[in-house]
Amino acid sequence: MEVNGQLALTVLMGVFLIAVAAWLARIEDWRSYTPLAGGGAVGGTKEQYVSEEKPSGLIRWLTTVDHKDIGMLYGVYSLIAFAVGGLMVVAMRIELADPSMTLLSNTFYNSLLTSHGITMLFLFGTPIIAAFSNYFIPLLIGADDMAFPRINAIAFWLLPPGALLIWAGFFPIPDIIPAQTAWTMYTPLSAGVGSGNQMNAGVDLMLLGLHLTGVSATMGAINFIATIFTERNEKVTWANLDIFSWTILTQSGLILFAFPLLGSAILMLLLDRNFGTAFFSVDGGAILWQHLFWFFGHPEVYILVLPPMGIVSLVLPRFAGRRLFGFKFVVYSTLAIGVLSFGVWAHHMFATGIDPRLRASFMAVSLAIAIPSAVKTFNWITTMWNGNIRLTTPMLFCIGFVSNFIIGGVTGVFLASIPIDLILHDTYYVVGHFHYIVMGAIAFAGFAGLYYWFPIYTGRMYQTTLGKWHFWLSMIGTNLTFFVMVLLGYGGMPRRYATYLPQFATMHQLATVGALILLVGQMIFVWNFVQSWLEGPKVEDGDPWDLGEDNLTTAEWTWFERKLQTAVTDGGEEEDAELATDGGETVTDADDE
Amino acid sequence: MATKTFDKDTILDLTVNMVPLAIILFFVVAFAVVNPFGFESLASGLQYTLLIAPFVLLAVLTYLSGKAIAGSEKSGTVYPPGQATVPGVGPLHEEEEKAEAALEESADADAEETAE
Repeated sequence: MEVNGQLALTVLMGVFLIAVAAWLARIEDWRSYTPLAGGGAVGGTKEQYVSEEKPSGLIRWLTTVDHKDIGMLYGVYSLIAFAVGGLMVVAMRIELADPSMTLLSNTFYNSLLTSHGITMLFLFGTPIIAAFSNYFIPLLIGADDMAFPRINAIAFWLLPPGALLIWAGFFPIPDIIPAQTAWTMYTPLSAGVGSGNQMNAGVDLMLLGLHLTGVSATMGAINFIATIFTERNEKVTWANLDIFSWTILTQSGLILFAFPLLGSAILMLLLDRNFGTAFFSVDGGAILWQHLFWFFGHPEVYILVLPPMGIVSLVLPRFAGRRLFGFKFVVYSTLAIGVLSFGVWAHHMFATGIDPRLRASFMAVSLAIAIPSAVKTFNWITTMWNGNIRLTTPMLFCIGFVSNFIIGGVTGVFLASIPIDLILHDTYYVVGHFHYIVMGAIAFAGFAGLYYWFPIYTGRMYQTTLGKWHFWLSMIGTNLTFFVMVLLGYGGMPRRYATYLPQFATMHQLATVGALILLVGQMIFVWNFVQSWLEGPKVEDGDPWDLGEDNLTTAEWTWFERKLQTAVTDGGEEEDAELATDGGETVTDADDE
Repeated sequence: MATKTFDKDTILDLTVNMVPLAIILFFVVAFAVVNPFGFESLASGLQYTLLIAPFVLLAVLTYLSGKAIAGSEKSGTVYPPGQATVPGVGPLHEEEEKAEAALEESADADAEETAE
């Protein structure tokens, strides 16, 4: 009876899927669909049919292969993930305001800890970078679109199911509980060994979700490498390539070599958990997992930080009134970081008891990789030195990035030293260090990009006062929360615990206050972002930042200007119809700018 | 050809990657001279592989990227990065000359103001 029921359900599902496919095929002429990009390519001949515009409404977003639309999808997706991951950590920080277990159970705290890490790294960090790169790389290099637009779409659409699987344990599904393995998924805990509850299918679902996001990132990386190598405008030679494209190219190379290894390790772990294999349960299995994981995991750090460095290298000089100091130094040091990032993975494993000779080598390369990062920092500072600095919101976030990156970077250099690491390993010092990088630097660069390009992707301007509130609350919140964590680490507070000794209470409470300040800042951001998108003053000038005055206009703004002047069917947005086609009178419908 | 591509300016640009290469080289020599953990073929072999592999890979990538960038500088017009397709932006050397002239003008104006 039960089998018949399942059979009926399967058939019903199949019929439903066929019906959806048939419906989509009816409303969209797939064979003729050619993406419009770069504000051109309209007016094709009859033999070479080109759709006049994209489908409208929801169907447009479900079927789009336009790099700009996919960039927007990535952006929305990652900001939702940022909100989810952020709210998770707010719950954790409120729990940590008190030394004992009060609001959350210890196991639920562990679940939030795991999901916060994975959400922020895989569902926010990587996709927000993809949002910028999808939208702007083809514009910056003068390409019509990505090399493989459909692969681009598939890469995005793998992400929502990935997120649902990763968060599956939190949904009210019977017998499924969230994973509590931490984002590093160390075996034997993650293999379900022992008396804990990590044999639950929630961990399997999370691993499958993670695998999907890895496949997505790899597809995207292949696409970017192909695009940057083959689709550049003939004037954009290697000598003329912009810095953001260089960082995306390097990042894509890292993804190409790192993510398949994560995928393999995840599959091995799934086999261990479900099919009785013994990859990680025999002698040396635990250390094998750590080697495999960190061979991916350390390049992942640079996968996340290189493109934000590219955004800062692109945006910061625009508001310093001059070109980036030592442009080629930044390019070569980006490539150096790319190579060396594969030679430092075991500095995460100094405390595991691996051979001291191996530790020494990893320490050496970890110290060497600090140089290219420091070179960039000096380049940014020198670019600003005596420059004509305009403290706009994106510039403030860029300066915040540099400031936080210095603290995050210097605390990291100490950790590269074996004796210091053995003392500070697994303390809050490490948590403080890497949050200075992921929140203080990576997220700050993301905000810099979101504000800087806001006029391009919305056609409107954000509210500058709220932007500055967002910056200062984020800056104060970040430094309060994570500097206190560095001090907690010096005091010996171990990481990953839901409870702690009363002697750490004051410091933890300060960190919680910092987290709440961050929360208020991000709420202001959401309000500003949404309201300005809907009601902000329309941008009628293709150069809203006055980059032309210093002759610093880059290709994406030229595209934007052309779009405003011609208002072709590109994108088919409603706003286009309202824009003055001669680029003439300014029409504003809000007063708050 | 190689000497033409790797002129003084290009080599100066590449020094940024020579610093980490030098640091790795320093440790290769240091671990050979000071070796408190003794020699054991597998562990010591891995120890040196972990230093030499990144060294070689970084040297190769630096050479290839330097060749690609310096080569395209020699064979085509060099524009300010990201501005090759922007109308009104000239080749990099012209832009730099313009900027320098503007700087000198403002410096002269400052000097005149000070003199007054």
